[in-house]
Amino acid sequence: MEASPETKQPEKEVIGVFVCHCGTNIGGVVNCEKVAEIASQIPGVVVSKDLKYACSDLGQEEIRKAIKEKGLNRVVVASCSPRLHEYTFKNCVEGAGLNPYFMHMVNLREQCSWVHMKEPELATGKAANLVKMGIERSRLSTALSPREVTVEPSCLIIGGGIAGIQAALDIGDKGFKTYLVEKEPSIGGHMAQLDKTFPTGDCAICILAPKMVEVARNKNVEMLSYSEVVDIQGYVGNFTVKIRKKPRYVMEEKCVGCGVCAEKCPVKVPNEFDMGFGSRKAIYVPFPQAVPLKYTIDRENCLHFKTGKCQLCVKACVNEAIDHKQEPEEIELKVGTVIVATGFDVYTPTRKGVYRYWEYKNVITALELERLINAAGPTGGHLVRPSDGVEPQRIAFIQCVGSRNLKIANKYCSRVCCMYAMKNSQIIMEHSPDAEIAIYYNDIRAFGKGFEELYHRVREDYGIEFIRGRPAKLTKDPVTENITIRAEETLLAKITEREFDLVVLSVGLIPNPGTAPVQKMLSLPVSDDGFLAESHPKLRPVETAIEGVFICGCAQGPKDIPDSVAQAKAAASAASTLMIKGKHIVEPLYANVNEELCVGCGLCAELCPYHAIEIAEKDGQSKAVVTEALCHGCGTCAAGCPQHAINQLQFTDQQLMNELTAALAAKNSAGGE
Amino acid sequence: MGEVEKVFISGLREKLIEDKVITEQDLVPEFASEIIRYGGKDVMTCLQCGNCTGVCPISLKIEYKTRTTIKYCQFGMKSHTLSTRWVCATCYRCYEHCPADLNPAELMIALRHIAVREGIVPPFVKTAASNLLRYGLTVKPDEAMLKEREQLGLPQAAITKPGWERVKKDINTIIETTKYDRLLGITNKEEGE
Repeated sequence: MEASPETKQPEKEVIGVFVCHCGTNIGGVVNCEKVAEIASQIPGVVVSKDLKYACSDLGQEEIRKAIKEKGLNRVVVASCSPRLHEYTFKNCVEGAGLNPYFMHMVNLREQCSWVHMKEPELATGKAANLVKMGIERSRLSTALSPREVTVEPSCLIIGGGIAGIQAALDIGDKGFKTYLVEKEPSIGGHMAQLDKTFPTGDCAICILAPKMVEVARNKNVEMLSYSEVVDIQGYVGNFTVKIRKKPRYVMEEKCVGCGVCAEKCPVKVPNEFDMGFGSRKAIYVPFPQAVPLKYTIDRENCLHFKTGKCQLCVKACVNEAIDHKQEPEEIELKVGTVIVATGFDVYTPTRKGVYRYWEYKNVITALELERLINAAGPTGGHLVRPSDGVEPQRIAFIQCVGSRNLKIANKYCSRVCCMYAMKNSQIIMEHSPDAEIAIYYNDIRAFGKGFEELYHRVREDYGIEFIRGRPAKLTKDPVTENITIRAEETLLAKITEREFDLVVLSVGLIPNPGTAPVQKMLSLPVSDDGFLAESHPKLRPVETAIEGVFICGCAQGPKDIPDSVAQAKAAASAASTLMIKGKHIVEPLYANVNEELCVGCGLCAELCPYHAIEIAEKDGQSKAVVTEALCHGCGTCAAGCPQHAINQLQFTDQQLMNELTAALAAKNSAGGE
Repeated sequence: MGEVEKVFISGLREKLIEDKVITEQDLVPEFASEIIRYGGKDVMTCLQCGNCTGVCPISLKIEYKTRTTIKYCQFGMKSHTLSTRWVCATCYRCYEHCPADLNPAELMIALRHIAVREGIVPPFVKTAASNLLRYGLTVKPDEAMLKEREQLGLPQAAITKPGWERVKKDINTIIETTKYDRLLGITNKEEGE
């Protein structure tokens, strides 16, 4: 082995190297004994061992013993990804009295053995080089101490659907101040629009309304309906939130929700809550169970705003609650934690598709059907078809519309469509037992509790027909407006054509348009599918990459009501954990500005994705100032600084150069071999 | 036993004994990778929704089904798939509609490549290819056709035009260089017919 690259203070570092087999994960490919042997010859290395499982109690004990016996002041653990066990090993060395930031991890599993499974010799060489690089880098490690920030005991919940409501109830009940922000005039979200819920058939609004009322009554929950979050600044424990309360033109404290104003209002417009089938007035509540039960004037359609004349509602209101001059109001809040529960929207079939949703009146979406079969809906629960108002007898459901389709870039399964199609066909059959229902599906996904039973029930009790095939063509009879579906019944390998009175498209779920602005304000990562990304798909399901910010419900991905509620409770619990402790430890891996070199050009402030850098005056000169709690240690500023004035702690320029020099030295020697 | 046979099985005996089970001997396990090598890269991705069959103009008319062909390929039933894949018109409608963004038409072309290399070439393809080699056209205008053209006042067919010999020679060079003639087993000798 050649001499390692120049080392600044070889006499000072006492290095221990531990190469982990990870069972056969690493040891099955990489010759760990050889790697440890190579490392042992590097100056400064006094212990170099291979361990079966470094993370096990035995392995950790081995590391602690070496630190104590040999007086190690640097520990290099060559094992898995730091994401998995960095914390374990930091704890381990701290237990032996060493500052945890003197522990450096080298990834031999994800970045070596798993990707080079078929080339064990080359993998061993690479592993040795990676370890050398790690050793050289660890020489310049410095002792760091984590910092503590206080956590404001209050929580902001964005989105008043079932997930947001549940999270607000849980946190409010724990005694923390909670702000529930909803952009619509009423909380309730999409669940309020549904008729019944699968698989049990509970009426959606009947189980939701009590929760809506409860959250309104909860002393700790402050409901901010018809409001939007416009700005969020700050960091875990200390967020400053700006909320814009849109004008209802009705004073909330005076309105009692009697509805006399709406009776008098002369303007009738389609009700968005009923998917445009029913109508509402220009002064309205979206649905009778709305919370808060306060009327709202829809500015676009109100005659007063259009002509300046009509004052009928003002005259009708005995409480003098109506004020056409109301202005938007801005509220500023300080909160310690944030829960994003911005939910979903349903996919709107495009003109590109073959289902002709835009053209054929008798092709409707599932959410429209929900309103048409809802007892509180525009038809009082009596299903009629849009073209002629006649009760349809032959009904087809088409599954996977806007889901599992690469042509429209929605690759994912929306997880609820199979079940709601079955649930809705059951409701239709209960109302009109003579109806004939066919479900065109690709695969049936009935994975949840009680789902398979519902799948069985709709076939056994109602004779719902399942046709396995994706419809290829829909045609409309010009006279009757009936729809003919052509599809291959793939299980028969025959092309079939059948006529239906009504076709329901089981549309998938997409991220709510309200999510994007919130995502930008908080710099939240987004998954491939466009929904918000959780910190870890299995083990940190409601946490995000931004500390103190949690996600739940359909904002994170399509899911049904039980899953949304469970996730809301998880997010509430995670947020409460922070608030109960009242303080939070922040990793000290932030950017450090060398003020002598900094010229205050401001490039770093522009580059920072977390708004953590500001340019401030110091002794008459502009200098970059890092808000450490906001800094995520991504290193963008350090790489961008033209003056090399910013150092990323644990990733300093010198450390990276050391690592690089070791890599290049290794490459040169490898070339000779 | 004799009576049972007479009543229930009678003449079917031979048919009943014949095995209707597809066994491993009927399958070619590397078939999918072979198809992928010839450009049908989507073969294993198909999840059999049947949209391609529904939009296929050929599947509407005959017992060919786009989706089942893909299934046979996934399964490795090579002998079954190689004979009839020439019915695909490669109109690419299946590709246009496939929700998984696959291209079944390319798969059909890959099957043709494989079939030809296995020596399975339908007569009509052979005829068209031989015509190309001999006359520079896939459809050779015969005496009757030439006469009709003349009567209708249409211009001369290409093969009777002066200078066509050079075009033919060029086509021949391409065919010989690419070994297309040997691949299809065709010659430009008339007596070969």
